[in-house]
Amino acid sequence: MPVKRILFLAPTLVSFFLILSYFWVPTFEDQARGDPVRLTRYISSSIGDASILNPTLSADSASSEVNDLVFDGLIDRDIDLSFRGRLAESWRIFEEAYLAVDESHRLPDGASVTAERLLAHLEVARRTGAPSLRLVERIEIEPPKTVTEKIEEEPEAKGKPARMTPVTLRRPARIKFTLAEVDQDFFKKLDPLLGGYIRRLDVSRFLDPSLPPGVKARAAELLSPVEHNPVIIFQLRKGVRFHDGHEFDSRDVKFTYETIMDPKNLSPRVPDFEPVKSVELPGPYRVRITYKHLFQPGFESWGMGILPEHLLNEGELRREALALGRDPEKFSVRDSNFNRMPIGTGLFRFGEWKTDQFIKLTRFEDYWEGPANFREYLIRIIPDLLTTEVTFYAGTSDGYAAQPHQVARLQNDRRFHAVSFLALGYTYIGYNMRRPIFQDARVRRALGMAINTDEIIRYILLGHGEKTTGPFPKQTDYYDPEVQPLPYDPGGAAKLLAEAGWKKNADGVLERNGKPLAFTIITNSGNEERNAIMVIAQNAWRRLGIQVQALTLEWAVFINQRIDKGDFDAVVLGWSMDLNADIYQIFHSSQTGHFQLNFVGYQNPKADDLIVRIRQEYNHDRQVAMARELHGLIARDQPYTFLYVRKSLSLMDAKVVRMVPGPDGRPQYLPFRLNKLGRIGFDFREWVKTPTPVLPPYRSELSQS
Amino acid sequence: MAIEQVEVLSGIHGDSPSRIAWRIFLRNRVAVAGMVAVLVFFAVALTGLMLAKGEHPIFDPREIRLPDKLKPPLSVPNPEAVPLELRPRLGIYLLGTDELGRDVFARMLEGSFVSLAVGFVAVGIAVAIGLVLGGIAGYYGRVSIGVWRLRLTVDTLITGLIDVMLSFPSFFLILTVVAILRPSIWNIMIVIGLTSWEGTARFVRAEILSLREQEFVQAAAALGAAGPRVVVHHLIPNSVAPVLVSATLGVAGAILTESGLSFLGFGVPPPDATWGNILSDGKRYLFDAPWLTFIPGTAIFLLVLAFNLFGEGLREALNPKLRQG
Amino acid sequence: MFPFLLKALWRKFWTLLFVSIVSFAVIHLAPGSPSQIDPLNPRFTPQQLERYRKAFGLDQPLYVQYGRFYKQFFSGELRSFKDNQPVLRKILERTVNSLPLFVVETILIWCFAFPLGIATAVKRNSLFDRSMTVLVFALISIPGFYLAYLAIIFVVQSFHVDVIGLRTFGREGVGAFSAMMDRTWHLVLPSVLGATAGIAVLSRYVRSQMLEVINADYVRSARSKGLSEDRVLYLHALRNGLLPFVTMLGLLIPALIGGSVIFETIFAWPGIGRLGYEAILSRDYPVIISINFLAAVLTLVGTLVSDLLYVLVDPRIRL
Repeated sequence: MPVKRILFLAPTLVSFFLILSYFWVPTFEDQARGDPVRLTRYISSSIGDASILNPTLSADSASSEVNDLVFDGLIDRDIDLSFRGRLAESWRIFEEAYLAVDESHRLPDGASVTAERLLAHLEVARRTGAPSLRLVERIEIEPPKTVTEKIEEEPEAKGKPARMTPVTLRRPARIKFTLAEVDQDFFKKLDPLLGGYIRRLDVSRFLDPSLPPGVKARAAELLSPVEHNPVIIFQLRKGVRFHDGHEFDSRDVKFTYETIMDPKNLSPRVPDFEPVKSVELPGPYRVRITYKHLFQPGFESWGMGILPEHLLNEGELRREALALGRDPEKFSVRDSNFNRMPIGTGLFRFGEWKTDQFIKLTRFEDYWEGPANFREYLIRIIPDLLTTEVTFYAGTSDGYAAQPHQVARLQNDRRFHAVSFLALGYTYIGYNMRRPIFQDARVRRALGMAINTDEIIRYILLGHGEKTTGPFPKQTDYYDPEVQPLPYDPGGAAKLLAEAGWKKNADGVLERNGKPLAFTIITNSGNEERNAIMVIAQNAWRRLGIQVQALTLEWAVFINQRIDKGDFDAVVLGWSMDLNADIYQIFHSSQTGHFQLNFVGYQNPKADDLIVRIRQEYNHDRQVAMARELHGLIARDQPYTFLYVRKSLSLMDAKVVRMVPGPDGRPQYLPFRLNKLGRIGFDFREWVKTPTPVLPPYRSELSQS
Repeated sequence: MAIEQVEVLSGIHGDSPSRIAWRIFLRNRVAVAGMVAVLVFFAVALTGLMLAKGEHPIFDPREIRLPDKLKPPLSVPNPEAVPLELRPRLGIYLLGTDELGRDVFARMLEGSFVSLAVGFVAVGIAVAIGLVLGGIAGYYGRVSIGVWRLRLTVDTLITGLIDVMLSFPSFFLILTVVAILRPSIWNIMIVIGLTSWEGTARFVRAEILSLREQEFVQAAAALGAAGPRVVVHHLIPNSVAPVLVSATLGVAGAILTESGLSFLGFGVPPPDATWGNILSDGKRYLFDAPWLTFIPGTAIFLLVLAFNLFGEGLREALNPKLRQG
Repeated sequence: MFPFLLKALWRKFWTLLFVSIVSFAVIHLAPGSPSQIDPLNPRFTPQQLERYRKAFGLDQPLYVQYGRFYKQFFSGELRSFKDNQPVLRKILERTVNSLPLFVVETILIWCFAFPLGIATAVKRNSLFDRSMTVLVFALISIPGFYLAYLAIIFVVQSFHVDVIGLRTFGREGVGAFSAMMDRTWHLVLPSVLGATAGIAVLSRYVRSQMLEVINADYVRSARSKGLSEDRVLYLHALRNGLLPFVTMLGLLIPALIGGSVIFETIFAWPGIGRLGYEAILSRDYPVIISINFLAAVLTLVGTLVSDLLYVLVDPRIRL
């Protein structure tokens, strides 16, 4: 019966064919030992795919992994976290300061102020060695000029787009000082010399009263009687080539800056470069960057990957637009195919990108520091955590970031190196200080004292974390190690709450004036750690007699409906940060509006002052002193209960080591060098994978004490 | 065929159709095993409701004991680190602890009730909607409504609605909707229910349509029985059988869907425990604490299997066409 | 015949329109905006957010967005929020990736379900039937992802081969035949897992259909005419018993797409289910709506075909 035969033969044939394919697949041993090409590849894995391979336009971690390898910046951080030059050989930072000439005032000698008289007065003082003019290299007169600026008007109603109005302002003559170093207090120190002239200056004298009110505030900023313009001059490295052979020069730096600032490109990096006033090119290997005002955190932004101007300039974009049949007027860098096939100056050049499968990079033979040892770098995209783990054990990926509960098991596994380092960022519980129950600092302290952070670190992080007491990264010297964490003292917490007027009622719940101490604590779903903290906090507070409800919300809802609108009581969250000391957006009182980051509503004028001064301080030691003072202040105020900093454990195949040419020309195998960030990729250029392990598995414990 | 149905109606053999079905069902031992298992799970769920839910349950699934995290089944609590009032009721961790030191046995008890509840409510909603819409479409289908100058029949509207629902990949749709709404156990139940009624509706409608044309209905109408009464007394009881079957299988499906949603991060939110989210939480510890997946995985497996076998048995027993000659 | 076809097409058109509106509205009423505009990123000022919204057209009223969206969709210009790539191309690429999976799953389902269903129907209530019933249901009772993990770990630890992704990673320079076999191997595990549910359901359906038919009058008369049991079964019974399967054609597509989400995520398979899931997570509206819309189109085509065949086949049901 043919039908019957077909019906019963079909499954047999299909199964046979499918099982047969097994025999054409190599096992892991085949791959490792039998395939020498495998050793020349470094395979990493990522949960998500990259989005845009252009460092000026993307910020997600997968794109950043690729961009860090394909592009170089002017600077980056060295082992001890000080800045080191990459595409820049050296740099100098100084400032140009301006003082407005207001002829309605008088000098100490009684004569009315004119630009020439002011200049003469100052020159005399400088020649006689006045200490406030110690840093001044040159004093000049800047004639009055007319400035036309597009100012964004304050929108009349919220949600309406702001209009850009061109405004013409008349700026008076100014005295221009060139200082050898940046000094934010320069004018304060200068004032006595001028008999209080500076203090009496008022910007409204220079404002045209016919200006519409919406632009007045901004115009006042632009016409400020004193102005600091920090200047950075970078000396660029010669002989650096892009992957297509074109030589790198200062035009590429300027072009990168312009690309970021071009509104068509929708770059997320705009705020980092917004304070830049101008980028000038005194020569093919010199870049002069002038800032509009003091902004020390801006320096680090020049670690941004540099784009090739010759491939993305207007002419090139126009050509690409026409070739693709798109409108050249609307075509910007964001639309270019460059973002799928990038070209930079970095250690690796782009090879191939199969969306959601893998990204392949190949070694750049003409890298300015010398080519890498690995010939290829591959990123596999594996969205599932467990599968990523299995892939790593099987040897088809070379690096893996371990979860805390896996550390104990894997740390002693001789197949892998284990590198432990502190993360940049911290986890905290934030209290909405607009809610009446949280307005008393004693209550916030008590809530913090009820939580056993040591236990959280010991049992949830399995010891892989450290307590933190303040808003700065522990790896930096901004963090004050002398500041003590809150003690774990539920008894003391109960006492503090009693002091604040909360007494236990008949049901065992704390209440004050008939109202119970009850609130909701929220966090985002999908984060096990934060979930666990929330539950622990809830239990600890319940024991004190506080009614706490714990809620997890999906990220988008959590952010848009609750955090952005300031609609929450307490929240468990974390910050991930940069290495600078700028906490303006998180703790300054001007940032407490909706959609802003000071969503707990912290307002302390002293803190505000310190925050602003830190941003404006270019001298590292002075900055550190102020940061430490701010650290202590915030720790006393407890707008957050600062919990901990996670330690990450990075695993690597034990066959990966550093290789440098030894004195006799033969390869020398050395253990890794890590910078304080634990960035093991710091030395990636020297890494290599050997067929069998040549060094004992690396074990490191980086602690910040 | 016709002879059998007349037999069924007039009860010549002296047995009601349900008694016949029951006897056939009992002969299928596998299905009976399924039914027994379902009853056992019901009992467990009720126990869970009594013992593990509420403010101060006998078996507390929410108590966190960090020093005792990830302990294997049948292990003893750490005497120094865990204070007396936090120790598990039976003195040992019967099924081990999870990543926060919570008693897995207590969580499984709590989860049994919640998982079954999710299944039943979801299916209840689906069946209710399906019966109503399918019934209306089947019986009143020819009635036309003038909507905006368009003459549409009720049938067209309802089958159009069914088409729309069927066009969306259902799991994908559930995912989209659950991702949009606030995560809560009710939302999940309602969404699963709202996306799985179309099968029942289509089936009920088709049954009614085909039954309408059959002789005995026309006979009843000829005897003077009025419209809706015919439906209620004759058509619906005959359609209930397949609906009952699909409901039983639907509960199994709903429990599996819930565990799938948990895996993707959209399941019932903590601290409520369902077997689905215990399983999906445990997957990260597959290598270090395999009992965290093995126990809920096996439990779901047995529960769903029980419902499936029970439902299959029902289907065979209730379908007169499957009776052996 | 023709008027019926026209009526059916007309109905499908209206259904499609309704589907397009519903999927569009549902997504846009969701809380949360596309994750590219991440408000918790300290770098984003409200002005920047506003700029992004304008660029994505999110500041327009809904009906304007609707029109714009579908216009761009049909002209192929629609771009994803995430990486600015044309949506249609993305979906096409990923569907092509998922296609081998769907095809193999469908082959597996139909190949295994029919013999299994028929055999258990014929040998009803035997040990074979009962054990197959339990086995088949057991396979679909395990939560899919759990079974997938167990299978992966088992295969990887016992056979030491790669099972993730489309093919063994990092292998180049092998012959075309080897490469094809490699890809086939990588298809095996995910398609087998994906097919189990279908095999189970379909085989039970086959079984019950066969049982219904096996004792029907015309079959009994064929037997009494002296035809061999095989002929009776496979020629007469089978043909009639299989008529209801035509309704399943259209419904297979959404089931395949929806069901693939979990397996594609676990196996890192760059398919359409995973694309949809990740789009939902990052609120990539263009992609979500497009996938829903296209799935609906395919389903409606499928159900149209099934409806036609069903009407042709069963004259009792009049529409």
